[in-house]
Amino acid sequence: MQPKHMMEGYRILDFTQFLAGPTTTRLLAEMGAEVIKVELAPAGDPTHQLPHRRAGRSGYYIQQNRGKKSVCVDIRNPKGLALIKELVKSCDVLLENFSPGAIARLGLGWDVVRHLNPELIMCSISAFGQTGPLSELPGFDYIAMAVSGVMDMIGDPDQPPYFPMLGIGDVSAGVHALAAINAALLYRYKTGRGQYIDISLLDSYFHSHEINVQAYSGSKGKIVPRRSGHHHYAAAPLGLFKCRDGYLFMVVMARQWVPLCKAMGRDDLIDNPNYDTNAKRVQHRLEIVAIIEDWLKDFDRDDALRLLEDMHVPVAPVLSVPEAMEHPHLIEREVVRTIHDRGYGDLQIPGIPLRFSDFPEPLDLQAPYLGEHNREIFSQLAGATVAEVAALEAEGVLVSEPLPAGVTTIASA
Amino acid sequence: MQPKHVLDGYRVLDLTQYLAGPAATNLMVQMGAEVIKVEIGPHGEPVRNFPFCREGRSGYFIQQNRGKKSLCLDPKTPEGLDIIKQLLKHCDVFIENFAPGVVSRLGLGWDVVRELNPEIIMCSISAFGQEGPLAAYPGFDYIAQAYAAVSDLIGEPDRAPSLPMLAFGDVGTGVHALTAIGYALLERARDGGGQWLDISLLDSYFHYHEVSVQAYSASGGKVQPHRSGSHHYAVGPSGIFKAKDGHLMILALLHQWAPLCRAMGREDLIADPKFVDNDARMIHREEMIAIIEAWLQTLPSDAAALEILEGARIPCAPILSVPEAMAHPHMIERRTVRTIEDRLLGKFQIPGMPLRFSKYAVDEDIQAPLLGEHNAEILQRFLRYSPAQVRDLESRQVLFSKPV
Repeated sequence: MQPKHMMEGYRILDFTQFLAGPTTTRLLAEMGAEVIKVELAPAGDPTHQLPHRRAGRSGYYIQQNRGKKSVCVDIRNPKGLALIKELVKSCDVLLENFSPGAIARLGLGWDVVRHLNPELIMCSISAFGQTGPLSELPGFDYIAMAVSGVMDMIGDPDQPPYFPMLGIGDVSAGVHALAAINAALLYRYKTGRGQYIDISLLDSYFHSHEINVQAYSGSKGKIVPRRSGHHHYAAAPLGLFKCRDGYLFMVVMARQWVPLCKAMGRDDLIDNPNYDTNAKRVQHRLEIVAIIEDWLKDFDRDDALRLLEDMHVPVAPVLSVPEAMEHPHLIEREVVRTIHDRGYGDLQIPGIPLRFSDFPEPLDLQAPYLGEHNREIFSQLAGATVAEVAALEAEGVLVSEPLPAGVTTIASA
Repeated sequence: MQPKHVLDGYRVLDLTQYLAGPAATNLMVQMGAEVIKVEIGPHGEPVRNFPFCREGRSGYFIQQNRGKKSLCLDPKTPEGLDIIKQLLKHCDVFIENFAPGVVSRLGLGWDVVRELNPEIIMCSISAFGQEGPLAAYPGFDYIAQAYAAVSDLIGEPDRAPSLPMLAFGDVGTGVHALTAIGYALLERARDGGGQWLDISLLDSYFHYHEVSVQAYSASGGKVQPHRSGSHHYAVGPSGIFKAKDGHLMILALLHQWAPLCRAMGREDLIADPKFVDNDARMIHREEMIAIIEAWLQTLPSDAAALEILEGARIPCAPILSVPEAMAHPHMIERRTVRTIEDRLLGKFQIPGMPLRFSKYAVDEDIQAPLLGEHNAEILQRFLRYSPAQVRDLESRQVLFSKPV
């Protein structure tokens, strides 16, 4: 029988909240894995409260948690912990992104869970990693970004740095975790052995330094990487240029300098000895930027874009989020995708970035309501009766929010 | 027998260059896979000349290509193309990052490759993906970043956006490619059969939008994502604050506002209606920033500020430069920054392996190949070519190598 998607048959026990960990399990759910999201009683994943909200539902939560099953448990209660330990026995992967040490204090450290299930793969995601002087500190995306030397590389040299208004570090750490879990699953497939994986935002951010670390180190400190605003410090013209109504990104390599000069009607620049190599153009880059922007000031961004595209200059419009969401390429490829939540209604989110030829259609997934799958999961996988689950809910060991009228639960296949 | 690492036994034919593709195979090789890097003769991988260079060796090349085997050939010759085709029969993965359509024109499109080896996983990496209106355009990291509406979210609102001086997009796309390849291998182990993977910088960059796309869409355009300089536009305090010596990142979200007020000795602000919740603090953002920066100026040093904030469990950090990060005890202890030794370039530092497995330590002793260093080994082992045949192909410029 053809599986419904790549990871059908794998079961993931997911203690993660916020963004980095939920990114990993979201991609696993998109690939067909069964993800049991363990939410901490009484309120569950804090992102249930994040904007934008409608009908009691958070778009943020929906984007990150589609296709997962929610159980909401008081793990500090021994009965809750016992149920979770039963689930550990039937899962392939356990993920958590608490502060280092917290999962062990809950009674679910690697030394405990590996004995419950010797084939288990456990992955911890944290800001700074499970060991080292910084491991105990609280951390979020931008904190790891600051420590990694990445934030210092964004902005004008004489001004404070900037940070991007999006969660590059969290999402990237989530994808790194996904890769490591996969390799461990491949290894387990051959050897039958589980293992523990330590993923951090700091490692993932630092991994993005394709040039800075080696160039500083290799040159013995002669090359000091530094932020340089809208234009690159090592190549020119390479940067963001102002048009009448917006900005263009342009990179002009050696063979595109002459066509660019011609397009600007500035054939006189072609033989100008100040500009005939990249090194000289870097030296005179502010002059060059001024010349190009003086030419562009009479152009709308999209007109200049077409003109430069015709000359095969690598160029792009700096699109705003709304513009990107309306771009025909992003729509055609479903880079931006419209989904329908049972409570919230229609919503656009980024599409799945992993495209498999054997599984071209995305799965139809729903984000769970809090504790929606308490009964299903604990009766099927932990041997509890429906009455016992109800009693535990009455006791507050398990929590579930009532489904609104007209909303039906998604039964497992 | 104990495998040497998690991907021991997998073989990859790597037709990628520059950064995104090599980042994927860089991680694979560090997990024990055998990676045969096919370089296009006569010069091979263009980054062999990227800075920093010494002794004819590029630190850039070494960082991305340690542990790979180099086979340098001309795929436009029939014999060169045939070598690639024969090798594909021995590989689990074929990865390429040419512009869409180029591998097909070389005679190595998915239709050909799957016939040669029905179990192979082929992964194509491109700027915009294999089809769609932008597919044919030339693309680099920053180009996809601009189209993905990521550049637009970096910098001051009333000025041009700022370019990050590092390649999130290429490296991130490489990691996305790695995951897709790995899950395809896992599926193949159970169900059999290869498939073709289409990975792009645009998809990977757009995937980073954790809030902006849904918030704009769901609010019917009321929430307009925008760059907002050194402070976040939607939550706070969350930003870069001027301190005594330099700048500090401070993130005091929701429940951390009261501890921050107490840490500053300003209990009076906790219940102040101007700052009582996140919405109020966003309305009075400038005033709030001024209060925090004024407090930071009263402290003797940034270190003193960090000590107080860390004591109150408020997420904070110094904004380290690359050299400072490389010298930080945490990065050194965990080998987030790692020293390697190239046979020619000598010792220098690169970022460490970001995937940490309990069963295997990182292998420090792998070398980036010289151009065509493994021509003879690869052709003899898999295709039974004799040393004389390899020499003949080198003399006829089907194969290339560059001895030291």
